[in-house]
Amino acid sequence: MLKKFIDNSRAKSPWIMHFDCGSCNGCDIEVLACLTPMYDVERFGVVNVGNPKHADVLLVTGTVNPRNAKVLRNIYDQMPDPKGVIAIGACGLSGGIFRECYNVLGGIDKVIPVDIYVPGCPAKPEAIIDGVVAALAKFEGLKG
Amino acid sequence: MLPMMLALVILLPLMAALGCYFLRVSTIRTMIVLGTGVCIAATSLALFGQGSFTYSPGTILGISWDSLVTLADFALLFVILYYAFKLKNQLIKVFAVLQIIPLAVFELFFVDHAAEVPAFYADSLSLIMVAIISIIGSLICFFAIPYMKTHEEHLHLVKSRQPRFFFYLVLFLGAMNGLVLSNNILWLYFFFEVTTFCSFMLIAHDDTEIAVKNATRALWMNSLGGVAFVFGMIWAYSVTGSLSIQAILEAGPMDGAMLVPLGLLCLAGFTKAAQIPFQSWLLGAMVAPTPVSALLHSSTMVKAGVYIVLRLAPAYAGTFLSEGIALCGAFTFLACAAIAVSQSNGKKILAYSTISNLGLIICCAGINTTWAITAAIILIIFHAASKALLFLCVGTIEHGIGSRDIEDMRGLYLKMPRTAIITIVGILTMVLPPFGVLLGKWMAIESASGDLFVIVMLSLGSAISLVFWARWAGMLLTGPLREKVPAESQNILTRFTLTVLAAATVVVSLFSPVIYTGLIEPMVGKTYEITGGVFSSPIGVFAVYPIFIILAAAFIYAWIDTKKSGNIQNGASYMCGANVKEPGVQSFIGPMNVPVEIKASNYYLEAFFGEEKLTMWVNFVGLALIVLMLGGAL
Amino acid sequence: METLILMILGIVVAPVLGGLVSGIDRRVTARLQSRFGPPILQPFYDVAKLFGKVKVINNFWQVFCAWVYLIAAALSVGLLFAQSDLLLIFFVQAIGAVFLVMGGLASPSPFSQIGAQRELIQVLTYEPLIILVFASIFMVTGSFRIDEILNYDQPLLAKLPLMFIVLGYALTIKLRKSPFDFSTSHHAHQEIVKGVLTDYSGPYLGIIEIAHWYETIFILGICALFWHTSLVGVVVLLATTYFAEILIDNTMARMTWRWMLKYVWSVGLAMSFVNLIWLHAG
Ligand code: SF4
Repeated sequence: MLKKFIDNSRAKSPWIMHFDCGSCNGCDIEVLACLTPMYDVERFGVVNVGNPKHADVLLVTGTVNPRNAKVLRNIYDQMPDPKGVIAIGACGLSGGIFRECYNVLGGIDKVIPVDIYVPGCPAKPEAIIDGVVAALAKFEGLKG
Repeated sequence: MLPMMLALVILLPLMAALGCYFLRVSTIRTMIVLGTGVCIAATSLALFGQGSFTYSPGTILGISWDSLVTLADFALLFVILYYAFKLKNQLIKVFAVLQIIPLAVFELFFVDHAAEVPAFYADSLSLIMVAIISIIGSLICFFAIPYMKTHEEHLHLVKSRQPRFFFYLVLFLGAMNGLVLSNNILWLYFFFEVTTFCSFMLIAHDDTEIAVKNATRALWMNSLGGVAFVFGMIWAYSVTGSLSIQAILEAGPMDGAMLVPLGLLCLAGFTKAAQIPFQSWLLGAMVAPTPVSALLHSSTMVKAGVYIVLRLAPAYAGTFLSEGIALCGAFTFLACAAIAVSQSNGKKILAYSTISNLGLIICCAGINTTWAITAAIILIIFHAASKALLFLCVGTIEHGIGSRDIEDMRGLYLKMPRTAIITIVGILTMVLPPFGVLLGKWMAIESASGDLFVIVMLSLGSAISLVFWARWAGMLLTGPLREKVPAESQNILTRFTLTVLAAATVVVSLFSPVIYTGLIEPMVGKTYEITGGVFSSPIGVFAVYPIFIILAAAFIYAWIDTKKSGNIQNGASYMCGANVKEPGVQSFIGPMNVPVEIKASNYYLEAFFGEEKLTMWVNFVGLALIVLMLGGAL
Repeated sequence: METLILMILGIVVAPVLGGLVSGIDRRVTARLQSRFGPPILQPFYDVAKLFGKVKVINNFWQVFCAWVYLIAAALSVGLLFAQSDLLLIFFVQAIGAVFLVMGGLASPSPFSQIGAQRELIQVLTYEPLIILVFASIFMVTGSFRIDEILNYDQPLLAKLPLMFIVLGYALTIKLRKSPFDFSTSHHAHQEIVKGVLTDYSGPYLGIIEIAHWYETIFILGICALFWHTSLVGVVVLLATTYFAEILIDNTMARMTWRWMLKYVWSVGLAMSFVNLIWLHAG
């Protein structure tokens, strides 16, 4: 019973950590907008934490370059399992408009495995919330 | 049987000291120290079987012991005077003369030598002190054997100075035992002076400039105490007409005329216990080798000062003097704890905390209810054990890492796991329940609760001391602990003393209810009901056994879970994702891709508790309080 | 026997109550910010989730310290329910505080180190105040034992109004509410990440969360002593106090520890003096 409660709780308490890889800040603002009274993601138990060790879901915005790829990898590694990654915005998905830049490696999935892709430039808060909820399905899937 | 035992605890160390001095072979010295230690420790335990007693030794070779003591006393004072001239120190000269002349006049013209004065008197307080001195003292002497060897290797001495060192160290044990057993106030004074002298010689032992300077300071401050003692003694004699401390106490709470001499005697106790404003000598004394700090300057000699104040407590119960003593003690407790926060030198922290705890004990003596006296005795016992342990740990660490600064002890667990854990045990027994020191502190705070000023100072002081203890304990563990730490090699004697002391601090705390019913209650009177290891009175409860059991279970459980965690996924510590990935390196990648080593340091709160900032004010207030205390007595 | 049952009752019930209080706290906070907020049971989901995560540690002493912190906190609440000695309970609670700090210091992460140092300063700030509150309760009722205190026939609040405010300061610090939440805070993105808790994760963070619930109940229990004569009084007093805490939390900015030490000590000591002298005079 306890195990079941724990399994159920996973989907009810996704703590997110937001990492800005090299975004133009457009997507970041939208991520933070999710926490405001307008969208209030805390309704779903979402808490924005500042520390990968406490996080369940990593929200990454922006493009990856050689410098921040290491940091991204490190932060991902420091998150204890089970965990999910959501790439946000066109940049996070593929490099977006910066795709051709000399220093851009491309999307997040070049460095770490991504579970959910939230498109948009910038991604709308509704879409981000949708993405988080979709990521929860991954935790739901862990039930067993 | 009794004379035999007394000879063993007082005279045997004297013999052994001479042996250490003249038989200059290290194995023989080791044997002597070990043998003496075991002997006096065993005797001190056997003395408990005697219960309280009074005893006069009679004569030896037709000369009375009294005159022998007097003779030795003058000899000692002249030796001190000799050192005063050698050091060219005016203060010591003045104080020595101020002791010699009144004492001579007193001995020649005042004292009725025919009067029968029992030389020795022992009750539970004395016996407990003897046990502390003999057992903990011996352990410290054992520890000193390997310690001094390494110490001299570090100093590259050609000619060993160990015979001299052990002479004073072992001699001190005898003198201290004599001090706490004396009933004749002249004897008490003699032993008081011997401890002062031993302390002086041992502080100066390393013979560096700073050592001699600090030893001189210790000598003049303690001589000032000696002067106060002499005048107090003479004055007391002129009022009561007796040299026997018991006779003075039996007269019951005194008023008027008797308060000044009592105040003076307490002042002597204050200097010996390094109470503010006399704390500077004890801080300076930290230059001495660590066993000296452990033995003289934390667990035993400074307790002699406390002992005198506590011994006289019934005589000034309920007077203004008593209130003054409580305030002085509480103030020292608070002020020294505060200054300790700003220190990073391990020995200095211990020194300040020692003074602070002595202040607490003196405060208890000043509060002077049965509760408070019980608290004082409990504190004496447990503080001696824990503090001796901590000093020895710092000594071991210093030899291990070459520093006594607590900042350098960060992550000590990785290098010296055994010593680190024992240090932590020592620290926890100083601040946490259900250990003895906290039991004492609990009693002290509860008995002080009626007194507004005292309780404010005690509550602030106890919070402040938690700060420097907790962070010290925590720092020792700092570090990325991935695998098992390699075991640490220690000299067998070092390991033995540390382990025994650490075990003793914990186990004796467990037996605190037994100690209370067996020793303290018969002496000071009943204050607590003990059922199932729970101290209870209408005012408070302290559940020793239950808390001990639950916490022991908690620790064992936590340890098992910790052990199980050994193979789980290790995470590097959080450094904003910029960790340098090599194992064992604590750095992050900084600007220009250069690794930057992380560095952390304690908050020393200099702005609030800085030593330079506080010392002057603290001394000023301390002096004012003492003047108030003595002035009120007048 | 009765004490034992009470004690076990306390240890079992307190985390449930503490979790609920924390859930209500989050809900009310959300309402004050015109949000809906999470379900009341959210803290339980959080902790359950934490227990379901993989164990990652940095230094195995953290595991040890987390457990000791929890057990000491539980024991102090147990003793509170068993109506033991106030000071003793407080000292037992201090075991937890010390081990939390030690666990923080065990991690080499600079955030954790600074957090632990700040936590110590928080302890330094509230501890004397709480001891003074206990001493003042002793001066009124003549005992430190809770069973004796409960026999006192008037609400303590009438005699010790200022001491209750002093206790309020300690409560704010202990609950990690703004403006005193600098060793670690309930909200994200503190300047030192998550302070003393930075390197605790998964189940160990869960353990600490439960210990925090115990501490909440511990300190609310002490508040309850100020109006022990009537049940309604207790409920009203606790509800008002806690609401005031939430209000303060939401309206204040985080300050520095220097400010806290100066401000809380001076105000706390001054209030204590005034109240106690008034007590003596009255
Ligand atoms: S996707 Fe658009 S808004 Fe988002 S970071 Fe890239 S450029 Fe900015």
